[in-house]
Amino acid sequence: MINYKYTNKDTVIHRLNPWCKLAWIASVFILALLFNNPLYLLLLSLSTLPLVLAAKVWKEWASLLKFFFILCLLIIVINALASNRGSHVLCQIPFAIPIVGAPKITLEAILCGAGNSLRLLAIISAFTILTFTIHPDDLVLVMMKTKLPYKSVLVTSLSTKFVPALIDDAQRISDVQKSRGLEFDKGSRIQKAKNYMAIAIPLLSNSLDRAVQVAEAMESRAFGSGKNRTFYKELTMTRLDFVPLAFAFSPAVLGIAMRCLGQGGYEYYPVLQGISFTQLEAIMLIGLVLLLNMLFILAPLKRRVDLD
Amino acid sequence: MIRINNLTFRYSDTDKPALHDINLEIQDGEFVLITGPSGGGKSSLCRCLNGLIPHFYGGEITGKVEVEGLDVVEHSTKELATKVGMVFQDPENQLVATDVEREVAFGLENLAFPLKLMAKRVEEALDTVGIASLRHRTVNELSGGEKQRVAIASVLAFYPNILVLDEPSSELDPKGAEEVLNVVERLNDELGITVILIEHRLDRVAQHVDRMIVLDNGMIVSDGTPQSILSDGKVSKSGVGVPPIIKLVQGLRDKCISIDNTPLTVKEGRAALAKVMSLRAKRSNLNLSEGKVITSEAKQSLRPFAPLRASAQPLVEVKGLYHVYSGEFVALRNISLKIHKGEFVTIMGRNASGKTTLVKHFNGLLKPTKGDVVVDGINTKEITIAELAKKIGYVFQNPNDHLFADSVEQEIAFTLKNLGFKSEEMEPMIDQVLERFNLTQYRHRYPRSLSGGEKQRVALASILVAQPKIIILDEPTRGMEYKLKTELMRFLDEYRKDGRVVILVTQDVETVAEYGDRVILLSEGRIVVDGAKREVLSQALLFSPQINRLAQSLKHYGVPSDVLTADEALRMVI
Repeated sequence: MINYKYTNKDTVIHRLNPWCKLAWIASVFILALLFNNPLYLLLLSLSTLPLVLAAKVWKEWASLLKFFFILCLLIIVINALASNRGSHVLCQIPFAIPIVGAPKITLEAILCGAGNSLRLLAIISAFTILTFTIHPDDLVLVMMKTKLPYKSVLVTSLSTKFVPALIDDAQRISDVQKSRGLEFDKGSRIQKAKNYMAIAIPLLSNSLDRAVQVAEAMESRAFGSGKNRTFYKELTMTRLDFVPLAFAFSPAVLGIAMRCLGQGGYEYYPVLQGISFTQLEAIMLIGLVLLLNMLFILAPLKRRVDLD
Repeated sequence: MIRINNLTFRYSDTDKPALHDINLEIQDGEFVLITGPSGGGKSSLCRCLNGLIPHFYGGEITGKVEVEGLDVVEHSTKELATKVGMVFQDPENQLVATDVEREVAFGLENLAFPLKLMAKRVEEALDTVGIASLRHRTVNELSGGEKQRVAIASVLAFYPNILVLDEPSSELDPKGAEEVLNVVERLNDELGITVILIEHRLDRVAQHVDRMIVLDNGMIVSDGTPQSILSDGKVSKSGVGVPPIIKLVQGLRDKCISIDNTPLTVKEGRAALAKVMSLRAKRSNLNLSEGKVITSEAKQSLRPFAPLRASAQPLVEVKGLYHVYSGEFVALRNISLKIHKGEFVTIMGRNASGKTTLVKHFNGLLKPTKGDVVVDGINTKEITIAELAKKIGYVFQNPNDHLFADSVEQEIAFTLKNLGFKSEEMEPMIDQVLERFNLTQYRHRYPRSLSGGEKQRVALASILVAQPKIIILDEPTRGMEYKLKTELMRFLDEYRKDGRVVILVTQDVETVAEYGDRVILLSEGRIVVDGAKREVLSQALLFSPQINRLAQSLKHYGVPSDVLTADEALRMVI
């Protein structure tokens, strides 16, 4: 079963300073939005995989692929219907659809949709690293550094903690009501809405009970004493942490430079642009792939230095 | 030191006081067990000790509560936090951080402890509770018992003089409960921390406590040593679950067989009973080795209730059942069994051994990955859950998951409506079930506003009103008070005698010892034993009831080694 909660798998990636991981995630995100060239995007997505594998979160990553494919399909279909700028017409829809008109479906439009959804693939990797390798309490600390008030940060972190519990609750209550012979999809629309009340009411009042209990327990442990809080763990950056941090952010810098030099762009319309590389472009692209994976090499290295 | 004078407290949304004229003094280092029926005021009393009452709950408080010299009305819960550590019932709802270390540090952070002192305190709290090895684990991957120990460590970090635990083991399986209670006993024993414990499982803790207080209707009914309170018949009549050994001793005393000290442990019980037996043997001049102290009629009385196996077709038949969750976790492996009319079957096993997964196949909530489940002649693959619901009732553990209607009457009618009963048929059925479960007076009340025991009865009534041929109960007795438990079990025992089937999932050995006749023991998704209760329980180590452990040592007096309950033992000895 995929568990959508953080679990400490104790890999080098899990142990890495959260700032470094956040910098890497930001890099991937920026690059995914920066490039248009499908080959660049594909390479970007592939370059994120070693980190995902090293963090042993590939199962979680794979489970998110499901959403990726759904979104992919959606993007391709919408793009194919909405854009008629391509020149290779595959099929002309004979009737008019309101707003869109009578669209023609072109090869370019389909490929444009497919190419653009490659961005998502890279973003999924970034998301996986964010959710499954950064300790939620560390995220709280990061948010604290951005001067957000502690109470709101804690509430955010608590709510992420209780969402899985809420899902379990809903599942259990639905089992209970089904066992009482309730068929959710039976009856008129009003009846259906009523049927769902059999889940909604217990779910809501159980959650309220839970909220009171949590508040009571926190109160009993002197929460909100008015004094300044201290933190058991501080997010400290050692001088050594700056090396992976710099490397984690470097792909973004390089990417921006490449884009400024006019690399990584691509035109789908009216006909697909050919893909060719100058020597400089190829070298920079290889450099980018390497930089994206530096974290993978630096993390264990830093671990060794730490131990010495 | 806790001093309570004339304490009366009323929650703002009720008319009746939850606590009425309480006077109590608890000395440093005492181990106090508070027990009594649910709604008796146990939790309310605990909440007064760290100021949750009145600061968090509001309401009306009179009298005086002094903890370590601090008046709880004048001092806030936050100030009291370092004096009184509170541990609550549900481990899920009292942990806020993601990993164990930070959880333990949470309270210290709130009080702005400097980092160095915090590190030392966390270290000590983890060691004291014996969870240092879990320090880097995330909280949500721990077992219930481990979570509860984290909760204890997290209040111990304050170095409190007093530890208050409100039913800390009621949400846990027996193993988890054992872990938690062991820790609590050690804290009192070795560190001299005053412990105030609310607990139903008296057989487990009675021998360790110095003092027992029984609360009922918001008043202190009894207060004294566990021996004096438990041997007093008055307490057991007020609905407090007395351990089987005490029940046996009471029975013997009723027959004018004197027993000097009330035994609280199996060991003490063995000694006391051996004395009784040897005395009797001497008096009647019998040769012990022939085992004639016990009459053969008495032995005969151990015969089990014979299930009605006359019908050729079983009500439930499972053939080669496998269940795999998400294509990964194999929860059930090759399960085959038959359940006939009139059987009362108990399914036991550790947590995650597949008990619930198995019974969810009976009413179609889960479908087999491989194999077949046939209920009343119909394969569950060919029928909807709603249709199966006419044959099978399934009672889940927590009544709060059941109840949603505006009145008790509607709650019960909801099931009947789903199952397609007509409204004119429903009326007498509802009347009858309300009567049966003693709920007639609550007919028009909002079910969620009832007390815990009443809610449980409404949930049961809402299932049993349709008179299903098979009824499944998943851990119904966990955290349930004794009186209600006995009522429920007696009802189920009657229910099956009309040719119906009762299937009980439980880890409560003492209940199984008294009721039911067949035990299926699961482990890691396999059936380990499936047999008559007497055989299974009398040969088990972990799953053997208190009286059976006692009887094992009296074999040479001719006491059969498969005696399971106090009543049976009594019949043997007298």
